[in-house]
Amino acid sequence: MATKAIRPVRKLDERHLARQRWARAGWVYGAMLALAVFFIGPFYVAFLGSLKDNPLEWPFRYSFAQTQPKNWAAAWRLGQLGAGNPWTGGFAPGAEIPFQISYFLEEGQEPEPPTVTVPTRRAGAGLGAIFDEVQAAQYAQVSEVQEVSRRPAVVGGQPGQIVTYAFTIRYPKGDAAANQPTIPRLPLDVEAPRGQQYYAATLDPNRLERRGRVASWDSVTPGFFGYVFRNYVRVFNEARDPNTGASFFLRWTANSFFVSLAVVLTTLLFASLGGYALARMYLPGKNYLFAFIVFTMTVPSQATFISNYLVLRDLGLLGSLWGMIVWSAVGAGAVFIMKQFFESIPREIEEAALMDGATPVTTFFRIILPIATPALGALTILTFQGMWNEFFKAAVVLSGQQASYTLPLGLSFFRSAYGVAGDWGLMLASAFLSMIPIIILFVVFQRYFVEGVSTSALKG
Amino acid sequence: MLRSQRTEALYALLFLAPFLIHLGIFFVFAFVRTVGFSFTDATLIGQSSRFVGFSNFVELFREPRFLAALTHSISFMLVVTTLQTLLALALAAVLNQRLRGITFFRTVYYIPSVLSSAAVTVIAIWFFQKTGFLNTFIGYIGSVAPVLLAFGGLFVLAQAVQVGWERWRGVPVPWLDPALATISLVVALALTWGLVGLGVVRPLEARPPEFTWLTNPDRFLGIPIPLWSIVILNTFTTIPTLMLIFLAGLQDIPRSLYEAASIDGATPLQQFFSVTVPMLRPVTFLVITLSLIGTLQMFDQVALMGDAAPLDSIIVLAYYVYNNVFSGEGKVGLASAAALILAGLTFAIVLLQRALGISEKAH
Repeated sequence: MATKAIRPVRKLDERHLARQRWARAGWVYGAMLALAVFFIGPFYVAFLGSLKDNPLEWPFRYSFAQTQPKNWAAAWRLGQLGAGNPWTGGFAPGAEIPFQISYFLEEGQEPEPPTVTVPTRRAGAGLGAIFDEVQAAQYAQVSEVQEVSRRPAVVGGQPGQIVTYAFTIRYPKGDAAANQPTIPRLPLDVEAPRGQQYYAATLDPNRLERRGRVASWDSVTPGFFGYVFRNYVRVFNEARDPNTGASFFLRWTANSFFVSLAVVLTTLLFASLGGYALARMYLPGKNYLFAFIVFTMTVPSQATFISNYLVLRDLGLLGSLWGMIVWSAVGAGAVFIMKQFFESIPREIEEAALMDGATPVTTFFRIILPIATPALGALTILTFQGMWNEFFKAAVVLSGQQASYTLPLGLSFFRSAYGVAGDWGLMLASAFLSMIPIIILFVVFQRYFVEGVSTSALKG
Repeated sequence: MLRSQRTEALYALLFLAPFLIHLGIFFVFAFVRTVGFSFTDATLIGQSSRFVGFSNFVELFREPRFLAALTHSISFMLVVTTLQTLLALALAAVLNQRLRGITFFRTVYYIPSVLSSAAVTVIAIWFFQKTGFLNTFIGYIGSVAPVLLAFGGLFVLAQAVQVGWERWRGVPVPWLDPALATISLVVALALTWGLVGLGVVRPLEARPPEFTWLTNPDRFLGIPIPLWSIVILNTFTTIPTLMLIFLAGLQDIPRSLYEAASIDGATPLQQFFSVTVPMLRPVTFLVITLSLIGTLQMFDQVALMGDAAPLDSIIVLAYYVYNNVFSGEGKVGLASAAALILAGLTFAIVLLQRALGISEKAH
């Protein structure tokens, strides 16, 4: 009798424990997911913001014109119609663009067709406003606006009707068609008489004003990128050098690559040479030297940059990318990492080479460097990332020379050029564009990043 | 000295030459020159300069902007280090699990640290705008607070009822029993959903945000609100790095210690405070030092804020030095003195850490 009474209790217990284990795993994964949302969420909403026409709109919407497939398809098709370019659109001679717009009228109102104009519109705030560009208004012809359909509807609890109007925008091919330019954008304003409220259109407008009576488009032939990634396209098109007209952002990207790659090369060479000498070679006072190198790493760069600025000025390297490269050619941290690595490889390898009569130089380049590939790989990635993100040195060396900015400095330049106008779309888009190389690098080599931090910090 | 030794030393110098020359010009010479400048009235545009003794240092401590920068730097350092260390340790303790897919999560958490501070700061300034996402989010939480409170209350109630029932039956379940908590979660969700559906619990109406972060003249705990936004930003971006260092430390703690503790009947919380915390002490000191030095020298985020926030509310020592050199006539002498004070603070921290007997080597 007694055994019978105990048995079921035990069984229940075991099942209970298993349930607890499973539930605990569930809670842990839930917590991890919540943390992931915490670390990635801000970037996700900022990315949504970078797609919006007004990133500061309140209340914040997660679903808006640029995220709707209906608009993607329309933008693609209109881009195709406007200039035969479904990606970035445009307005080319011979284009013929049919367009429809619907308005909601409360009961008892008589529909009246809206006025359609192709306005003259500057490319944007900040730098974009400096440039004169060909305006679509000079060439576009808008047909008469015709009513297409009416249907009864209830919108927002108000009974009424939805009236759809249609019109066509043409770019007539003249006799000298060769002289007619292809225009990047076809802006459009549609203004309805009082009482009508915007309801829908072939492509959702970029702005609605005066309680939905005025709808305006930056371009009704934007193409897919031109509509969904409008701010990203603007980063390249609008921010241009006032003197040469070259795209600033492309220039800065090239500059960032140039500086980062050059510094990676010099660092790899000098840091592995120095690290090897510190790790393996005989040098009186080596330990004091090493202690001094560690000490230099704790000194703030603010305590040394004034002299470095003057040195680079005397060398004529201010405002030049070479100034940044010379200043960052080799860092104490890199030498430190390489020294740690060389200390971890067995001595026998080089001793064998020395026995064979090789000089330290040949031993180093023929035998040691090939072994050091993993450490060099990690150093490459860490150095590249560090240089790509370097802000302080760029601010000291390159200030005032927009054409030789690197991306971080360029972002701060955008901040002052567009911040006044509150053009957040362009600033957010440029921030995301500048991150792309590092994100790719991180996704591919994340192991090196993660190990780099823990090893360089812990083994110190 | 043996001849072979001399050759080797020569080769060593040859190998080290590029690095040593670089270090000589851009560190030793630069540092000595900064010390020299700090005793003169040198400017960037002026040709000649005079020796003025300690008057630069005296002048600094009379200048309100420097005093603001100094207090901001020190309070920023203390607040951020505390926040970072505690949060990073908590995160690392959560992440130190043997689970499938843990590497994926570690990678994801690390992303904010990898991205350039310039890009992250630009995004952050958007975040801190009046109608930016942070205020929107806080407003949203505020408006659904009744629902959240109802949910929390129901969850606690359901858990208490279940645990009470089990204990009454004689099953010794802990208050946070995960299996019962799952049931409580489902029950609380369903009941909340029902109450909201019936209109018993209603979210409040969302109002447009009124609180400003970057242009706010107020202070909180003696620190200007705009600087608090940099505190939040800096904590957010550096937690992952520190968390990784903690994780590496956590994984070096032998499992047997925990097994012994659990055989002795220690609860997870007791294990954390009597095994994890003491074993992590060297790593913790390393993290704190790194964090103290890093936050003291913070520059990018202030520089990028630019005119988004009034300068006097966010200025820190590093930016003060830069700003004095590159604005107006370029007060090199004064800036050098300030830079030396910044360097002095850094050394003081390192020395303090040494004095506490914790070497840089964690193991």
